[in-house]
Amino acid sequence: MLLIFLISSILISAAIYFIRNRFVLMFMSALFMISISAIGVYSYFNIDKGDSVYFKFDSISVILTFIMVILSIATFYHSRLYISRNDFSKKSISIYYATFILLTVSMTMAYFAENLVVMWVSIEASTLLVSILTFHERTKEALEATWKYLFISSLGIAFTFIGILFLSITASSQGITDLSISNLISISSSMNPLWLKVAFLLALTGFSAKMNLFPLHTVAVDAKTFAPTPISAFLSTALINIGFIGIFRFFTIISSTEILHWAQNVLLIAGIASILMAALQMFRVRNYKRLFAFSSLEHMGFIAIALGVGGLGYYAAILHLIFHSFVKASLFYQIEQAHQFFKSYWIENIGGYFKLNPVGGLAMILASISILAIPPSGLFISEFLAFKAMFLGGYQYIAIFVLLLLTVIIYKFSKFIFHLLYSEVPRDLKIENVKINPFESISQFLLLGLVIYLGIDPPIFFTNLINSAIAALN
Amino acid sequence: MTYLFIILYAITLVYFALSERVKKFIWLLAIQGIILFGIVFYSLNEIEIFDFIFILLETIIVKSLLIPSFLNKVRKHNQLKREDEPSIPVFYSIIVVVISILISFLLSNYLNDIHLHTQYFTISFASVIFGIYFIIIHKNIYSHLVGYLIIENGIFLLSLAVGNVMPLMVNLAVLLDVFMGVLVLGIFINRIGDTFNSVKLDQISKLKD
Repeated sequence: MLLIFLISSILISAAIYFIRNRFVLMFMSALFMISISAIGVYSYFNIDKGDSVYFKFDSISVILTFIMVILSIATFYHSRLYISRNDFSKKSISIYYATFILLTVSMTMAYFAENLVVMWVSIEASTLLVSILTFHERTKEALEATWKYLFISSLGIAFTFIGILFLSITASSQGITDLSISNLISISSSMNPLWLKVAFLLALTGFSAKMNLFPLHTVAVDAKTFAPTPISAFLSTALINIGFIGIFRFFTIISSTEILHWAQNVLLIAGIASILMAALQMFRVRNYKRLFAFSSLEHMGFIAIALGVGGLGYYAAILHLIFHSFVKASLFYQIEQAHQFFKSYWIENIGGYFKLNPVGGLAMILASISILAIPPSGLFISEFLAFKAMFLGGYQYIAIFVLLLLTVIIYKFSKFIFHLLYSEVPRDLKIENVKINPFESISQFLLLGLVIYLGIDPPIFFTNLINSAIAALN
Repeated sequence: MTYLFIILYAITLVYFALSERVKKFIWLLAIQGIILFGIVFYSLNEIEIFDFIFILLETIIVKSLLIPSFLNKVRKHNQLKREDEPSIPVFYSIIVVVISILISFLLSNYLNDIHLHTQYFTISFASVIFGIYFIIIHKNIYSHLVGYLIIENGIFLLSLAVGNVMPLMVNLAVLLDVFMGVLVLGIFINRIGDTFNSVKLDQISKLKD
């Protein structure tokens, strides 16, 4: 099934690139949206079944695919608005959409990969495709951000590959040569702990560039700042989830071994360092897209800590990842709308957004409340569960330190958002030609509403999926 | 014979530390490709024939011919002749190469895993460490690409160290990594050269708050 999806998506992408006709673009995009939604539904009804020897529809991949399907539809919609408001050539537009489709496909492959090498190849492909999209506006800054992202990510992914090779050394001593994740999990308890430790460290370092986690988080921040904003939204959510699944796969292999506690400590260190870095950067940040990117660093750090704590923390980590994806995407979509008024993302050039666009301002308030994990946001539930796990697990000092850092982040983030919404409108601002349809914020309200609903009254199938995803860890 | 090629590979690392000319970097990468082929050729009794043909294409065609010629084009496009003085004197770089080989040797002896070809592991690990060092000491993105390729050659040797049990897919992954990485990175170096009129790192470090 996935092979058919892969081939048909490549053909759709090629048609968009070569034909360069508006009707073909819309038709092919719609066709792709239908096909990727179908893959999501198909995977849900075939859960825990394999799709060839290289892919498997397990719970975590189904969850992440559903997130990606929802966000790719929203990103397509906002990309349409973004493209229509800028003067891009036909070639540039076709490259944008064709690359975006291929990026979505590579992510799908990475989520469903049952083999570590297949997952690695898919993630490597996504790096190259992200670089094309980041460079879309052809500015000096975009070029620099693209170069850094491409180079550091390539280095990171090379280290991950070394980690996979190290894992294969110890796996081969147990008679496993195919690097299938299921097979690796089945023999993990008899693997050499030293090789496992080195492999995990290398994988964590490599995937940190994707997950926006310490230590290689900086390149992801730069890429998100200078990529087209709908793409920034996608990079801050679906692409982050690719990094997460990479680390999650390695962590699952380790979870039934004697080095589990060691791996959890490594995750705790990476998580605390990430939140600390995010808190420090809040004092330096001068750009809204950068602010949101550092906010992702904070949330990914929190997810790493929740995984590191274990127990209830596992559930909280997955829940947090889901909610963060929807809320962060809403923030990016909304700031792109604000950009239409201010023509800038720099904090000093922006103010009085609520006055200029009340509906958009409302969406921004709701998204900010949600990202700061203030009730009724679903993120409040996931953070509450994670803190509960920390206190129950004897990690109270870490919990207190994280709470202090989060207080700093909440204060600085709110200050910037209040500035955006309620400060004086810049005097030299020309808004005569700016026309924003209030319905452009509808996707943000839907995503934020979904986060509130799933937080307060999650349906049974939703909690079952998360419980099934973390079953291997417990 | 394999040991001879491994020693030759170690010598190329020393030459990388000694060299300052960009053209020499390209030559050394081409030579490394041939040496890698030699290493694979003398491991023939341990590798299946289909893997062997694939690795042959990967080493001779891609690593020795395609990538050096592409790098040469990028070099000419950006009019690169002589590398700026690295931030650390050559003498210290040679010491780093020797130390990285020694550490790798001691590490592979310590690991002593029967599923690991220790001779390949030693040189591959040294290559990866030196590649990282090479990137750190040079302040030019072209040299960074060269450092990346040294690391990739190290990874290739590492895949050989576990080679007799690894499927074709690993080779495919290494090939994809090198080929696509170099192609895309090379294109971006050209872009940067055109846009910033320089490939020096201090010219492309503007992304700050």
